[in-house]
Amino acid sequence: MARRSRRWSPVPYLLTLPGALWLTVFFIVPMFTMFSVSFQEGNFEEGFVFTGYWQNYTNVLTRYDTQLFRSLAYGLIVTLVTLCLSYPMAYWIARRGGKNKNLFLLLILLPFFTPFIIRTLAWKQLLGDNSIILGTLKGWNLLPESYQVLATSTAVLSGLIYNFLPFMALPLYVALERMDPSLLDAATDLYSNRRQAFLRVTLPLSLPGVFAGSLLTFIPAVGDFINADLLGGVNTVMIGNVIQREFVTNLDYPEGAALSFLLMGMIVIGVFLYARALGTEELTG
Amino acid sequence: MSDRYDLSAIAGDRRDISRRELLRRAGIGAGAVSMSAFLAACGVGGSNETGDQNQDDGLTTTKENGELNFANWPLYIDRAKGRRPTLDDFTKASGIQVNYKENIQDNETFFGTIQEPLANDQAIEWDIVVLTDWMIARMIRLGYLEELDHSLLPNFEAHAGQIYKDPVYDPSNAHSVPWQSGITGIGYDPKLTGGEITSFNQLFDPSLEGKVGMFKEMRDTFTLTLLSLDIDPQEASIADIEAATEKLIEQREQGIVRQYYGNEYADALLRGDLAATMAWSGDVFQLQFDNPDLRFVVPDEGGVLWVDNMAIPQNAANPIDAHTFMDFVYDPEIAAQITGWVNYICPVPEAQDLLLKQGEKDSYYKTVAESPLVFPTPEMEANLHGYKDLTADEEEQWQDLFQSVIQG
Repeated sequence: MARRSRRWSPVPYLLTLPGALWLTVFFIVPMFTMFSVSFQEGNFEEGFVFTGYWQNYTNVLTRYDTQLFRSLAYGLIVTLVTLCLSYPMAYWIARRGGKNKNLFLLLILLPFFTPFIIRTLAWKQLLGDNSIILGTLKGWNLLPESYQVLATSTAVLSGLIYNFLPFMALPLYVALERMDPSLLDAATDLYSNRRQAFLRVTLPLSLPGVFAGSLLTFIPAVGDFINADLLGGVNTVMIGNVIQREFVTNLDYPEGAALSFLLMGMIVIGVFLYARALGTEELTG
Repeated sequence: MSDRYDLSAIAGDRRDISRRELLRRAGIGAGAVSMSAFLAACGVGGSNETGDQNQDDGLTTTKENGELNFANWPLYIDRAKGRRPTLDDFTKASGIQVNYKENIQDNETFFGTIQEPLANDQAIEWDIVVLTDWMIARMIRLGYLEELDHSLLPNFEAHAGQIYKDPVYDPSNAHSVPWQSGITGIGYDPKLTGGEITSFNQLFDPSLEGKVGMFKEMRDTFTLTLLSLDIDPQEASIADIEAATEKLIEQREQGIVRQYYGNEYADALLRGDLAATMAWSGDVFQLQFDNPDLRFVVPDEGGVLWVDNMAIPQNAANPIDAHTFMDFVYDPEIAAQITGWVNYICPVPEAQDLLLKQGEKDSYYKTVAESPLVFPTPEMEANLHGYKDLTADEEEQWQDLFQSVIQG
């Protein structure tokens, strides 16, 4: 093995420079701009002025608390359900997939070759009150005439779960696939039964995948507005819909910005607590 | 009322691709569009400019430049074989090349994209923009529009319908002339409602639980609700709006409203997810080709007449070319050509006779010409109201109350 010089070298820093610049220009600068906007006061006709108006935060929190907590609850439900659905699936592919692993992974991804919006619109067609599914069941008198799936929270949650499933399944698969199967043999040799082997070997080793999958699912699911927009009804409005409306329709940039930062704050705190609970060393795997 | 009629005889009679079909295809991209609009809006910081500094310093030029940049809404001008005949005719007649873009999805979003340069007294890309009456009023108030030179608009004087001249939102058409207009009323399927709908209050009937569509367009929803409370929308006070808000919240809490819709209400009505819904006349006219049972009615309490207008933004580069075009579309032949395809209300009454004549050869045009949704009857017109022109403060108060309705 060649000995590497321990002297400081500029090369790694230079290599990170393009990425760092990219993030500065397109992430940090807009973040600061939006943060300052969230303390502005005024209206779209006369313009907005920075006055340190922190009441934007309390105003939106009192007005949109329902949507904010609904979104967090939806995010949690979606994360839990996708976890329960994906874990056995990822486990099966990683352990029993054999030569066809890549084929099974492709099958998980296949629907996602179609754009997000089109898939969700397809759900809207399938679940309509007189659609091929509900219409037929109603025709056979298996469902009451007034039964509906669209415009309920079931529809929104189902859409979210469907749309975010691969973001959970793939990191889980990677974590499970990386695990050395001989560890399970060792556990058996040490008189553990299958349940114990799973709980004390497989599960802890897959936690980095659970953590990564949960973040990739929870964060975008909380901020999603397409599913609520297309599949939802009057009592399923999510915070993403409110923010979108504040910016695009009401042209109330300060309140939209304040809501965005509130949401971000809640997510950051939630993720921090979650990381503490799972234990950070295991996550770096 | 006379504004119901049977279209079954000619259903499916359109040979070319219909606007309806295009709309359906375009709808797929709508979510993506609103996403990009959302991102665009994020970039707009708070500018401290006001409209006050925009003085009227006259047009930038006094002659035609042979060029016209025209921003319009999607599917709002005639098409045939991948071309736009009206624009081709215009170029042939005037030698002016038209750069036509369908990039206005809704008034607020478009306003958000042009506000900053206009507030700074800079020119924007467009020589003509098409915006709804209340937005025209707002832009006039902010000094964002050029004054029109009516000596260049003889066709408008000669052929525009009486109700389109000297409107409340733009006295003596000083800054705008109508492009097309439409009615906000009720669309319904009598098979699902189990009877006729004549009153807006029927949309508040608990027997239609989960089958009623309302608009997330604040002005339409408030104006029809005010009318149903017997309040003149032009005179509406904040207390009146609070009463309307209360009525709408009760409707939502009783589970009557299925969803607050944008353009997508039309598909829900066609699919039978909605039995009765607030609706725009031109859409229902199109939907009737797919489902002849559907009906459109102006509520007994009154409906909304909205007008989309052509206007020239401040400091536009080609204002005279813009005038030439505005006048061109008031030629009844051209007006008939546009309305024959677009199917919204035509501001040129003479177009009706021309379409009837065309209808002798092709029954589709007869249907258009005879439809009260395209050429409303005088009784209908008498029962239509405009939106109230809101100040920025009123707008914010109304919006806040309306949010409490639709963001349940």
